[in-house]
Amino acid sequence: MFDPKLKQALARVQKPGRYTGGEPGSVYKDKSQVDLRFAFCFPDTYEVGMSFLGMKILYELLNQHPNWWCERAFMPWLDMAQQHRELGLPLYTLESKDPLTDFDIVGFTLQYELSYTNILAMLDLAGIPFYAADRDESWPLIVAGGPCVCNAEPIAPFFDMMMLGEGEWQLQKVCETVEQAKKEGWAKRRLLEQLAGIPGCYVPSFYDVTYQPDGRVQSITPNCPQAPAKVTKVILQDMDSYAPPTHFVVPMVGAIHDRAQIEVLRGCVRGCRFCQAGFLYRPMRQRSVGMLNEAARDLCANTGYEEVSLTSLSTSDHSQLEQLLDEMDTWTPQEHVSISLPSLRIDNFSESLIEKTTMVRKSGLTFAPEAGTQRLRDVINKNITWDEIEKSCRIAFKAGYSSVKLYFMMGLPTETMEDIEGIAETAQRVVDLYYSNPDKPKGKGVQVTISVACFVPKPHTPFQFVPQDTKEQLEAKQQHLLHSVHSRKIRVNYHDSSTSFLEAVFAKGDRRLAPVIEAAYRKGCFFDGWDECFRYDVWLETFREFGLDTAFYANRTIGEDEITPWSHMDYGVSHAFLVHEYHKALAAQTTQPCNRQCSGCGANHLLGGPCFAYDTDLVHENR
Amino acid sequence: MHTIRIWFTKTGEASYISLLDLQRVMGRALKRSGLPVWYTLGFNPHIYMTFACPLSLGQESLVESVDVKTEENKPDFAAWQAALAPVMPTGLAVVRVDYARIKAEQIGSAAYTITLPARAAQAVEEYNRLTEAVVMKKSKRGEKPVDLKAHVPALELKTDGESASFSVTLPASETLNLNPSLLLKFLEDRLGLPAEECAILRTALITKDGEPFC
Ligand code: SF4
Repeated sequence: MFDPKLKQALARVQKPGRYTGGEPGSVYKDKSQVDLRFAFCFPDTYEVGMSFLGMKILYELLNQHPNWWCERAFMPWLDMAQQHRELGLPLYTLESKDPLTDFDIVGFTLQYELSYTNILAMLDLAGIPFYAADRDESWPLIVAGGPCVCNAEPIAPFFDMMMLGEGEWQLQKVCETVEQAKKEGWAKRRLLEQLAGIPGCYVPSFYDVTYQPDGRVQSITPNCPQAPAKVTKVILQDMDSYAPPTHFVVPMVGAIHDRAQIEVLRGCVRGCRFCQAGFLYRPMRQRSVGMLNEAARDLCANTGYEEVSLTSLSTSDHSQLEQLLDEMDTWTPQEHVSISLPSLRIDNFSESLIEKTTMVRKSGLTFAPEAGTQRLRDVINKNITWDEIEKSCRIAFKAGYSSVKLYFMMGLPTETMEDIEGIAETAQRVVDLYYSNPDKPKGKGVQVTISVACFVPKPHTPFQFVPQDTKEQLEAKQQHLLHSVHSRKIRVNYHDSSTSFLEAVFAKGDRRLAPVIEAAYRKGCFFDGWDECFRYDVWLETFREFGLDTAFYANRTIGEDEITPWSHMDYGVSHAFLVHEYHKALAAQTTQPCNRQCSGCGANHLLGGPCFAYDTDLVHENR
Repeated sequence: MHTIRIWFTKTGEASYISLLDLQRVMGRALKRSGLPVWYTLGFNPHIYMTFACPLSLGQESLVESVDVKTEENKPDFAAWQAALAPVMPTGLAVVRVDYARIKAEQIGSAAYTITLPARAAQAVEEYNRLTEAVVMKKSKRGEKPVDLKAHVPALELKTDGESASFSVTLPASETLNLNPSLLLKFLEDRLGLPAEECAILRTALITKDGEPFC
């Protein structure tokens, strides 16, 4: 049974089922029989973390080793965090309920910048010192992976090691090394030196960073022979070398995405210039139909899920998607399983896709034109035309859908008020299209929702050089959009620009931000990504106390030859290519998707050959 | 078509699953088991399931049950139990599978074992001396007073080292359902029982005629 303190806490909090473990598929081992214990920490709530595929992949892989045990920990919600403090209950993993300090490795996944304070909160609740320099061998090794590692300099001082790229092979290599270190009693320094030699492993303390008087980075230099001048991410060269996980821990209390997920491909061919994931995960690699179909079937049988989602950055770019859907159609109906496609692109949205999947039934139709005018869509290389939007909406309206959600961004480079008006116009044209359709469902009105996010320039993209719009600029644009909408069939959702601002500061920040983040946490900032917890004033005040200018990080143009805080991180895409794409963007010139034509970004070096065999047809015909 | 009653425990981790969540958890377990359970017809078919007398969050039970249907002619209950055992989450253990013999509407009362710290025994003794123990019971139609003493005149405490326990049978019918937490809350508010340190375990369901529910 549970520890009495834990029982007490559970009796006092909302949704205690988030903190108990015991879900089907969770792995229990005899801890006296394992050589390595890994605590996989997700620095957000259980509901968010349990929706995340990366954790499922690595949980299954690590636990396949009989002598390793990977367990899970999440950031407890406010009420539970308070119980941890009041009752002196250290943060524990859901499986063994052992405190994080009992583990050999505590690994965080960095999915978004605004979870940084939650990492400190989790370390704090576990009683682990924040700074790597304050932890000797007696503490667990604190590591991180995930997309934000591409510039996690603002939190680098808290970590012993970070991993760039894809974890399947790399994390197992790291665990092997830690297991050996433990057996042979290595000092921490020796372990870190060994880890620095593993591809994609970055030991922040092995790099010295100096700054110019104006605050820009002067140099980043390794201070240890094992540390490479540039850390290059690792990728799976062949996606079929690792099958997707076929066992999930199935949450018993509502995860956000509570369904089977099969990763059909990794990376994206599109090259949208604002999209960090599109650059970080290059080149695009896809799994074969046979492997995907089999994995989907096993996963549904093992989990009992009635919905399987074919996930990736751009699922409809899988060259054999229709074939895969046909294969899956041979078993899904009798197994009572439905198929969903979370990310559809307007330009290859077809009637047969609508028929074969149920993606729209629940959520309605969603499209992401991202910008309101063709000019601006060319700037960001979102190669969608109004004709394509029109064609897709026509198909959807004919199929009986009457609500459409359109995603846009605001604050994009070169954007003018005309582009903002274009957002409203696009939505209006969709409304008009609906009413001009002779087959429209009788008696039903159309509902078009525009959801507008604030653009955050991200490292490793062609837009890393551009300043973010100021809060004032963004708010003026939001107002202008509201005034440009004249139909009651159109609803506008927009986000608070201040969270996007902090996100921009962290995204392009450097190591000097670590003490700021620590201080803000001490003042009570965590769950910054949750509107009800975000305390903008406290953040601004804390930056001021440290004499750091937020605008320097968020609202400044970065020189094309400037040394950035992330210039020692190599994600395969050359700096020259980013600059070239930046120039093309400013000239509103588009770039072809990778599966149609290689633009020479450099990521093919990670494969040791070309990314695509252009003689075989990998591209969907535009339908 | 037969109606099959699956009996299971709901203890430990599983005691923190709400009824809504339990429906999903059980549906998936049934799906993993591959058993020939009947799906409802219509646009959105799902496994037919009804739960008898749902338990409150945080309470444990040895006698939970869910009814499902099957078109199997002669279901082999041992095989059903064997198919379910490996697919149930921690704390939900299948105890027995059988035909549903009595309708859930026939349930009249439920028996519980309440565990408390032995040092809190005096709260129970004081309860036994009271002539009246009125609590406010919330229902859809507002609050109404209920005298616990009318249903539970006295509690018999058994002490075992540092912990103590008593058994109690409370109405659990459609017309009157008394949650044991009402009794604990009364003991806490009026007689100083540390309710947070107590545990509630349901041990039996009894029909209106006083027979075991099966
Ligand atoms: S090397 Fe060419 S095909 Fe490969 S990711 Fe870069 S641009 Fe695309």
